Amino acid sequence: MLDLLRSFFASPVMLDALLPSLLIAVVTASMSVMVMAHRLSYLTVGVSHASLAGLGLAVTLSLPLLPTATLFAVLVALLLALMPRSKGISEDAGTGMLFAGSMALGIILISSASSARVDLFGLLFGNILTVSGEDRFWLYLLAGFVLVTLALASRAWWSIAFDAVTAEASGLPVAGLRLLLYGLVGLTVILCVKLAGIVLTAGLMVLPAACAWLWGRSLGGLWLLSTLFSLLGTWIGLLWSYALEWPSGASVVMALCILFVLSWASNWGVVWLKSNARKG
Amino acid sequence: MTAPVVQINHLRLGPPDHPVLDDICLTLEAGHFLGIVGPNGAGKSTLLNMVAGLSRPDAGHIDLMGQCLRRFNHLQLLREIGFLHQLHDHQPSMPMRVRDVVAMGLPAYNRPWQRSVRSAAIGEALALLDMEAHADADFRHLSGGQRQRVRLARALVRKPRLLLLDEPSAALDSVRQEKLFKLLRRLCDETGMAVIMVEHDIAAISSHVDSVACLNGKIHYHAMRGENIPDEIWRAMYGDRIHIVSHDAGCIGCGVAGDQDA
Repeated sequence: MLDLLRSFFASPVMLDALLPSLLIAVVTASMSVMVMAHRLSYLTVGVSHASLAGLGLAVTLSLPLLPTATLFAVLVALLLALMPRSKGISEDAGTGMLFAGSMALGIILISSASSARVDLFGLLFGNILTVSGEDRFWLYLLAGFVLVTLALASRAWWSIAFDAVTAEASGLPVAGLRLLLYGLVGLTVILCVKLAGIVLTAGLMVLPAACAWLWGRSLGGLWLLSTLFSLLGTWIGLLWSYALEWPSGASVVMALCILFVLSWASNWGVVWLKSNARKG
Repeated sequence: MTAPVVQINHLRLGPPDHPVLDDICLTLEAGHFLGIVGPNGAGKSTLLNMVAGLSRPDAGHIDLMGQCLRRFNHLQLLREIGFLHQLHDHQPSMPMRVRDVVAMGLPAYNRPWQRSVRSAAIGEALALLDMEAHADADFRHLSGGQRQRVRLARALVRKPRLLLLDEPSAALDSVRQEKLFKLLRRLCDETGMAVIMVEHDIAAISSHVDSVACLNGKIHYHAMRGENIPDEIWRAMYGDRIHIVSHDAGCIGCGVAGDQDA
């Protein structure tokens, strides 16, 4: 194990990937608490898949990949926030339609582009080991913006998730804050694409908070636990990726899934022990 | 002279030929406790929601603390209001301590850059509802009645000038209902807080409120304390099939004061 750690830290590729991966882990863990509280898991699936159309547009029109995809993902997220209200369509139906339509557009655009220009496997499943200097710049910029916005608005979003009617009656601009949250989900999805790809991004946006949900008792506690689970999952995933030559995104999501099962099982065990002690 | 806490002038919701609420006029001074009664679909919750700034009337206007409730000032005016809306099988899924639920009622809670979430105020609000012993409990593990008392504490923690309550006693047993109405009466008298409360059971509230408004699309009658509501008003609200019954010694489970004294 020590040899593995030593060679991991001696690898320049893994060291280059470590900081961006851990930063993504902190951002996704923080957002995942809001995703769970507002029940936006399906929205993250929808936005991440819809971002393929943004990437397709960038490839076809020779635009910068990440900024175009970022803009597209935020627009899709905002559209999903507004569409159900104005047209009487349920949010999951709206997400399903936009997700399928954008995915179809993305596949058509990318398949029409020169295959040499597009790393389709990387887009679908992510590869943090190939992060470029430009990617890194965008990642730090978006991560900083997401974390600052979260620090300022997280309590208001928490209040809205708990009871939107009372939040509005107490003077919170609920509609505006909801739009901001959806936009931030779009930004975070793009942030994750480099690590986990379009297909696995939802895992990073849901699993950390799902692991913490069973143990936390407050917003602060949930955030801390969620971040710890996310950092641990990312660390284990990168180690597996290095040692076993598995794809990095899939390894991280798999590690988080295992952490969730362990968290759930140990919580069940604690509840069982407590109820037995009470009976005894 | 201070402006009334609430002044509703000729308020209408819906088209003029088929309004949901029509020609509603009400004035509430500080310390006034108003009960609103009426049949299902009478517009009681709709009226309360409009005063809480959740929907806008089609005609007329609402003045709060002397200012007309408008789009540009409603966020500021609503900070003076405590609101408890009607619950529809709300099962909380978020992990929250009771004190955090109450803290949400403080205007500073949503502004983390102002680190002034006062734990003393939270404790005081919980103590008013006899819930201080549960301050660190998980909100999800409380009973329906306990959760309702925590929500009431959340509405009271900001020390509002106006409290809007939509069937607050729905999940409470009769002892807790009586305690709640007495608490509201005391707060009105001691702090000058005004209360508008929607309730179905006029008998339960009549000894605590200052006035009762009978609402069914419009206000049929606004009875002040000690004033009887005429039978024809009840019939106008609930229809001719209503039976108006007076409590007497023959009531099952009804403790008539004279019998108990004897």
